[in-house]
Amino acid sequence: MGDQNTLLTTAEVRHLLRRAGLGPTPREVERLEGLTRGQAADQLLLLKPKAFRPGGRDFQKAHDKWLKFLVKGKRPVQCRLALFWHDHFAVNFSTVQDVTQMALYVRLLHVHALGNFKTFVKAVNKDPAMMVFLDTVKNRKAIPNENYARELLELFTLGVTDLLGAPNYTQDDIVQIARAFTGWRVNSSNVAELDASRHDFQSDFPERGPKVIFRTTGGFGPAGRDLTVNGEGEPEIDAVVDAIFDHTDSAGHNTVARRTTHRLLQFLCHDDPPLAVVDELIATASFATTWDLKALVRAILVHDIFYETAAPAPFGAATKKSVKWPVDFVVSTMRLLGLKVKGRPAWIPGGTYSSLRDHLENMGQVLMQPPSVFGWDWETAWLSSGTLLARYTFARDIAAMRWDNPTFRPDLLMDLTLTDPDDIVAAVLGVLAIDDQVDAADRRRLVDYLTDYGATTSLDLGDWTVRNVKLHGLFALAMQLPAYQLH
Amino acid sequence: MAITRRQFLQRTGLGAGGLLLAPNLFGNPFVREALANIGSRYLVVFYLDGGNDGQNTIVPYDDVGGLRSAYNQHRKTGNGGLQLAPGSLLVPSGPGVPPMVDPNTGTQLGFHPGLAGLHNLYLEGKVAVVQGCGYPDYSLSHEASTIIWQTANPTGNGALAGTGWVGRHLGAVYGPSQVPGVAIGSAVPGEFRQSATSVLTLRRVRTFGFPYDDLDEAESDESAKRDAFAGAYAAAAASANPRLAFLGTAGTSTLLSSESYPPLFDVYTDARQSWFDDYSALGTTTGRAFREMAQLVYGVHTGQPGVAARFLQGRQGGYDTHADQGAGTPGARQYDLLREFGDAVELFYRDMEDIGIADDVCIVVWSEFSRRIPQNDNGTDHGSQGPMFVIGGSVAGGVYGNHPNIASAALDDQGNTPYSQAPGDPFRSTDFRDVFGTILKHWLALSPATITSSILPPDVGNPATYWTVPNFDLGFLP
Repeated sequence: MGDQNTLLTTAEVRHLLRRAGLGPTPREVERLEGLTRGQAADQLLLLKPKAFRPGGRDFQKAHDKWLKFLVKGKRPVQCRLALFWHDHFAVNFSTVQDVTQMALYVRLLHVHALGNFKTFVKAVNKDPAMMVFLDTVKNRKAIPNENYARELLELFTLGVTDLLGAPNYTQDDIVQIARAFTGWRVNSSNVAELDASRHDFQSDFPERGPKVIFRTTGGFGPAGRDLTVNGEGEPEIDAVVDAIFDHTDSAGHNTVARRTTHRLLQFLCHDDPPLAVVDELIATASFATTWDLKALVRAILVHDIFYETAAPAPFGAATKKSVKWPVDFVVSTMRLLGLKVKGRPAWIPGGTYSSLRDHLENMGQVLMQPPSVFGWDWETAWLSSGTLLARYTFARDIAAMRWDNPTFRPDLLMDLTLTDPDDIVAAVLGVLAIDDQVDAADRRRLVDYLTDYGATTSLDLGDWTVRNVKLHGLFALAMQLPAYQLH
Repeated sequence: MAITRRQFLQRTGLGAGGLLLAPNLFGNPFVREALANIGSRYLVVFYLDGGNDGQNTIVPYDDVGGLRSAYNQHRKTGNGGLQLAPGSLLVPSGPGVPPMVDPNTGTQLGFHPGLAGLHNLYLEGKVAVVQGCGYPDYSLSHEASTIIWQTANPTGNGALAGTGWVGRHLGAVYGPSQVPGVAIGSAVPGEFRQSATSVLTLRRVRTFGFPYDDLDEAESDESAKRDAFAGAYAAAAASANPRLAFLGTAGTSTLLSSESYPPLFDVYTDARQSWFDDYSALGTTTGRAFREMAQLVYGVHTGQPGVAARFLQGRQGGYDTHADQGAGTPGARQYDLLREFGDAVELFYRDMEDIGIADDVCIVVWSEFSRRIPQNDNGTDHGSQGPMFVIGGSVAGGVYGNHPNIASAALDDQGNTPYSQAPGDPFRSTDFRDVFGTILKHWLALSPATITSSILPPDVGNPATYWTVPNFDLGFLP
């Protein structure tokens, strides 16, 4: 049992930077070594969030800017949580078709990534890209459009059911919330504003009943919660969020706090976190009253549940390994190998010329293009034959950057005077920060590859052919290993 | 994908072996059934993602049963209106053409004007339109309803969770090193999911090769790389850690398939280049999806080594037409979607016909829900039951199942047509599992006992509401 005063091992520092950051670069590892869990978390969370906005004339440029920002990785925890929120509050460019609105949306994700969750949701209500994506801009009083109302409840806050399986809301709640969101539009300066003439006022449609929600769920009693408590029109959409954040589940616990914490734990360390740990973390961070995401993330990053998965290989049945998201796979590789995103579009030469975005697309994840409002499917859903081949191809292409610019330069990453195959394998795995994640049998396989099953016992990496075939090949293989797909 | 367990340790050299059943599987009655009956057939599952508006897909043409006037009440004309005028519908008629008439009300029905391709196939008796497909206590969540359809599990039966309706069949009869199913895309679709056999996903057959370094022949060390890679993934497949094991089996079958599938491109284009070009000329993702499926089918049909997939899946997105759905002219959202689908599926059928295997191909088309009959400003919100299509040379074309009752008075308090299984109800709905079950029984020749025991267990509950005594004989397959 550890707590915030527990000293981190090097393996745990790497784990922290893998799961909560953008990959354990040597500099970052060095900075956190010798610290306690609490000190390390504070150091990572101390960095002032940047209101990053991927400006650019077209989608490709915006995508490249975001990738560059990630590869630079100055604020690893903020960056990584912004990706989490991108999946949570999913919006895609295919539907929105406006690169300025997408940039504002990405900015919103970064501004609130470690902020106040309730404020965050209220801001999402008025985000232009979201308003287009889920049809708030088309929600008129004549026939309210339920798209945003439904996803606000189902995906952004409560979930269809609570963590115990009881329903959180009814269809009528969605209808009334849809009414509250009628009449909103985005003006020419990309600011949300209410057009009162298109808003559904109760007096206009008495047959639709009062704008009251949660009469049967949420712990509000049969009176439910009146959305017009602060008046009709503009205040209604904030009142919706206030009501949702006061909703309690079938066990009397705050529903939003539990679901959000549960999801964050799934993202950061554990795909099936025990409810007791969820509740403990909410209490530690006072999350159900403060909605302070930074405090919640800190509580997770000092908790045992986070470090349980830092175990070295071979992994036991209970170790919760997680499949790297494609963007993690790409960004952490670029950072560990000291590669910069260059050119327009950002490109990786190699076996076939293609851009980083193409690689990501083949792996199943393009930034600003989640497949639907549900975001991406995680874990084993990332692993199909097509997406795996895309990962293997990326690894091959990176290692094959022998003569192009940018060039992959092993000489800048490791000691090329090494001759012992075991030492060379250890060095390569060290560069990729997986030396504790690869077991002895896999090391043996890499050594066999390097030595052609013992045909040689010593390698001269100064030799052009040895270096270009075997060392580059070893890097490709190591990045294709099962261990490198997980974190 | 893939979940091979330990067997892969011995099988990584399989390469072009294709069907290789573990000896103990031969004793399995499901295997015998499958081997005896899957024969030379193919099953294609195609998903219209987003909730296709069935109310504007199969539309009342006349007002014999009052459906047309009810339709006119809900679907408006003018700006933002979604109403399809009777004259714009594609109404199948002619000698030998199966009547396209609602069995309950006798209403003449027509296809959305975008569905010219499907209409053409209907004229030849190759399309079954199955109306009113749904399930009890329908969900209006895309995610929840998609999972319900893919798992064929509306009632939350824990035994079915995480496995697809096709997947349960595949998992029962195929071994871990086999690849009986291929999906066009990047993720294993829910209906194929299970943990006993491999499902392949690919976007392009041609480029589906393992990425070895592009070195001179003299320097090439492909076989050494392959050994290391195959060894690492075989070991991972045997790991006690479930995620690592999953990854291990996925990587192993990926390696093997990457060696046996790409040659299918040349096999197909050598013989059928003009067909390949016709698919490409459609210029749509759905056209490309069917183009890739055609290469797979042709490869299996011509007995190429290491390929045996007879279960295929594809999807077309974009059907979530809350806004700008449009009516019946090009440029309208639903028109363009249905046009893309209909044109691609017709070309695929013609291709199969030309190869001579149209009778061996069955395509089942579904969407996670239909949309509400009352429209909003210029689109539709999520609704309940809708039509499915079953297409193929052996299909008995025609209309099956009743059109939902869209009269205002019949709608439930959510504005949706109610799902009913009451035997006396003239508007009795079609449970989508009856459609799947009919395919399993009549296409895969599984016995009803096998189907109800391991793939589609009947619901427990009031038979007026729940699906209790399946007969799997809807009639669209002999």
